[in-house]
Amino acid sequence: MANGSSETVLGKNVRIRGRISGDGDLVVQGSLEGDVTLRGDFTLDEGAEATSTITARGVVVAGALEGAIVADAEVTVTSSGRFRGDVRAAQVTIEDGAVFAGRLDAEFDLPPELMSEPGKRR
Amino acid sequence: MTSTVIGAGITIEGEVSADEGIVVQGTIRGKLQVRDGLAIEAGAVVEADVDAGPIRVAGQVTGNLTSSDRVDLENGARVVGNVKATRITIADGAQFKGNVDMDV
Repeated sequence: MANGSSETVLGKNVRIRGRISGDGDLVVQGSLEGDVTLRGDFTLDEGAEATSTITARGVVVAGALEGAIVADAEVTVTSSGRFRGDVRAAQVTIEDGAVFAGRLDAEFDLPPELMSEPGKRR
Repeated sequence: MTSTVIGAGITIEGEVSADEGIVVQGTIRGKLQVRDGLAIEAGAVVEADVDAGPIRVAGQVTGNLTSSDRVDLENGARVVGNVKATRITIADGAQFKGNVDMDV
């Protein structure tokens, strides 16, 4: 519980319906219905549930999330995580055991051998 | 003791309900329902009707405060709204505009 770094923790027995925005990091352990816009990192802990569009720097999903994720940095769906929706991020990690249903849009360059493949679409 | 902290940089617009204690350092607009203790710290802004257990205010509140227990307005608190509680203290340096209903 460092005082300077503004971390927000919404505990297990907390329910939120509405919009959350801010600068710091946010950890959700309870349930959340509504959009989140953060300049910091967002973590949905194991056992937590959210129906939201998450816009943040980095995102960790260890609970159940339905909606969308837009992240500047890395998105991780851990082994306990369940996610349904679309992800756009610089880097995405889906751990073994995670449930993922949706579209994944990661910005990276294809290796040259794949670039030269003739199987281009359209 | 409390595990929920709404940090200084965070704004919540909507409904917050909790079965545990909450510490508010940021901004809440909407509705706040807490089954346990609520601390609205210096620098916090609450524009909401609040229903909670014991409430301690050192920040800014615009809205009605209803407590099943007590309300303490501390030095630096600024409250505009009605307060309903079984016990209330208003410290020197607290600003308060509204009605008090002590349910006697």
